[in-house]
Amino acid sequence: MKGITHFAIGLAAASCFPGAVRAGSAGDPLYFILAGICGVLPDTLDFKFTKFFYKSDILVIPDPLRPDAQQIADAVSLAVSRALATGRPVNLKLSTIQLAADQWQRYLVAFDVPNRAVHVQYGPVVDTGGNPLPHLAPASIPAGRATLEAGLELEYLATTTIDIFDGPVFCFEPTPAGRVRPVFIPWHRSWTHSVVVALLLALCGALAWDLLAGAVIFAAYAAHVLADQAGYLGSNLFAPLTRRRAPGLKLTHAAWPLPNFVAVWLALLLIFWNLARATTEGIGHLNPVRYLFLAAGLPVATFMVLQKPPKDES
Amino acid sequence: MMALLVAGSSLLGALVAAVLACVPGLHVYNIMALVVLGAHAAARAGVAVPSECLIPLLVGMTVSWAMINTIPSVLLAAPDESALFTVLPGQKYLMRGRGQEAVLITGAGGLAGLFLLLLGAGPLAPRLVPLAETVLRPHTHWVLWAVIIFLLMSEWPKGGRLSAGGWATFCDGWTSTGAGLLTFLLSGLLGFALLYRSPINPGIAFQNLMPAFVGLFTLPWLLLNLASSVEIPSQSGLESFRLEARRVLLGAFAGGLGGGFAAFFPVVTGGIGGLLAGHATALRDDRVFLASQGASKIVYYVGGFLLFFLPGLHLTRGGSAWMLSGLCAPQSFYEYDMALASIGLAGAASFLLLGPLARVTLSLMARFGYRRLSLSTLGLTLALVAGVTGMTGLLVLAVATGIGLIPVLMGARRMNGLGVILLPMACNMSDVGVPVARWLGLL
Repeated sequence: MKGITHFAIGLAAASCFPGAVRAGSAGDPLYFILAGICGVLPDTLDFKFTKFFYKSDILVIPDPLRPDAQQIADAVSLAVSRALATGRPVNLKLSTIQLAADQWQRYLVAFDVPNRAVHVQYGPVVDTGGNPLPHLAPASIPAGRATLEAGLELEYLATTTIDIFDGPVFCFEPTPAGRVRPVFIPWHRSWTHSVVVALLLALCGALAWDLLAGAVIFAAYAAHVLADQAGYLGSNLFAPLTRRRAPGLKLTHAAWPLPNFVAVWLALLLIFWNLARATTEGIGHLNPVRYLFLAAGLPVATFMVLQKPPKDES
Repeated sequence: MMALLVAGSSLLGALVAAVLACVPGLHVYNIMALVVLGAHAAARAGVAVPSECLIPLLVGMTVSWAMINTIPSVLLAAPDESALFTVLPGQKYLMRGRGQEAVLITGAGGLAGLFLLLLGAGPLAPRLVPLAETVLRPHTHWVLWAVIIFLLMSEWPKGGRLSAGGWATFCDGWTSTGAGLLTFLLSGLLGFALLYRSPINPGIAFQNLMPAFVGLFTLPWLLLNLASSVEIPSQSGLESFRLEARRVLLGAFAGGLGGGFAAFFPVVTGGIGGLLAGHATALRDDRVFLASQGASKIVYYVGGFLLFFLPGLHLTRGGSAWMLSGLCAPQSFYEYDMALASIGLAGAASFLLLGPLARVTLSLMARFGYRRLSLSTLGLTLALVAGVTGMTGLLVLAVATGIGLIPVLMGARRMNGLGVILLPMACNMSDVGVPVARWLGLL
């Protein structure tokens, strides 16, 4: 899920603790600050720290002026061969191709499992929002294809789109069955996305402040981990006790607008509901059915209708 | 007769603000302060300005400025190559010779935002806002802290793309993020200094923060315009363009949420509201983004002002309400309905003025050149700051400009400069402002 979704869910988790709400209304923001920070912390650790220290064995920096899909396909093939030959994981980083301040050359890397091959295809030039820029359509660039020395054991998507900001790292892990497993961005959702780490942080919080702080930290951090588990990539839920990511439930993609909006909106409504229940001033009775229908149903339905592109656009 | 007075005042306010909104760096609050000071002086002389004149005039100015200010913010904010990843959709349109189209899309979003206010917020606010205010008032301080945390934690590193990992990659990656944090911290310290030991004469009504804001947000891009070699492509004359209603409505939905959030919570600005709503709705389409910016600005400025007229609540959100609060205290739906009528009139007028004023601005750009226009804007801005706040104000302006240049040059979010109000106000609301100010040696 997106950062703001985790952030809102973290705050909503804190609002479920009456002690945190009472402290908040008495002027003490500590529990909500902790919840906000811990709601985003797993991704902060990954994208602001872990990522930069993850070493790549093979670094592919495609030339913006001389596009060469074959070179990229060959690099993937080389990584697979080296992993097979050495029996050790090989990290391959595929860099993005920035053409100008707001122009990126998109390319796609597709693992063809049945045919033991990798295909690389250049796509359109896109802006930083990922929108294609038709007026900058590149000249036809030949696709690249390379055969792989070993069969692949896929645990994530077969096709990866590489366009904006930073490119992905694949860790090619040899398996006992003589195959190679491409692990997508291995530095992400590893030890940071663990319920055990959430417990350890909660323990630190309880020692540093109080039990309530520990509970809030655990709730916000664990909520992040569980929300991410709804996606495709999955998380290493019990690191350091386990070493691999558990596959996600494949219910949603992290960047899809609708699930993110619904989660944020419901989190905000839950916060308001919890604050309203705790308020001492007479505000009358909030009817939960009406509240859910009017405050949740209508905005979500409106967003669903508006964000869905018409058939000709989609 | 009274209706004519209301209508005339609304339209006058809209017209005056429409012209002034085309001047970059000039905020409607600067001019409103003069109007309010004039009204105060008249009251002291025994001539009370009728509320049927003052309220529509100020509402008209607020609506029109929020609508028309799109023109300088799109047409006079060209990015140069150092902008890296921070080229906004309006700038993209400008650099493709379609600046006027961007202005009109933003205006369409603003118009949709006006409809949201008139048809949605207008009838519902008297029922919903008192409930929300009762529930959320004791929690405002932590909401502000939450906004600050999200603002700081959601700025992802932009560098370190082309290396194989390690400390060098980390340092490269953290350049922009670190610059953002530094900007927030320094602008927060500046905010503390201005709040607790302002060097600016406190007698200068309503303008204490003006030099800081101009320095943090306006001057850096003017200086960048002058220093960079950016050339604005010729802007194509616009006869018609296609804009799907779905995109405008989606933008208005997102902008309405963001602007509404910012209008309701004190200190949170429209830019922050827009950022939050943009993240929450995952907007990627440039036209939807532009429409959302237009809607967000209208809902933030006008919606915040409208809250002031809610009978019995006396919510002062934003500069307009704050300035008017010294002159009148709305007691009934008479003022509320009058404000709604003024919003409708001034909104329609300012939307109609948007296209012609954009064309005038474009022709001025073609005639005098982008750099010369930026230079004259710079001169005007400096004169304005010097005229209102004196030499001390210019000193504050210089410090703020230094801070404001950090994110511009290092590719961080300029919004981090909002630390100037966010940090001291959040500290004050959590009752730690005075100890922090004492620790900083300001008390």
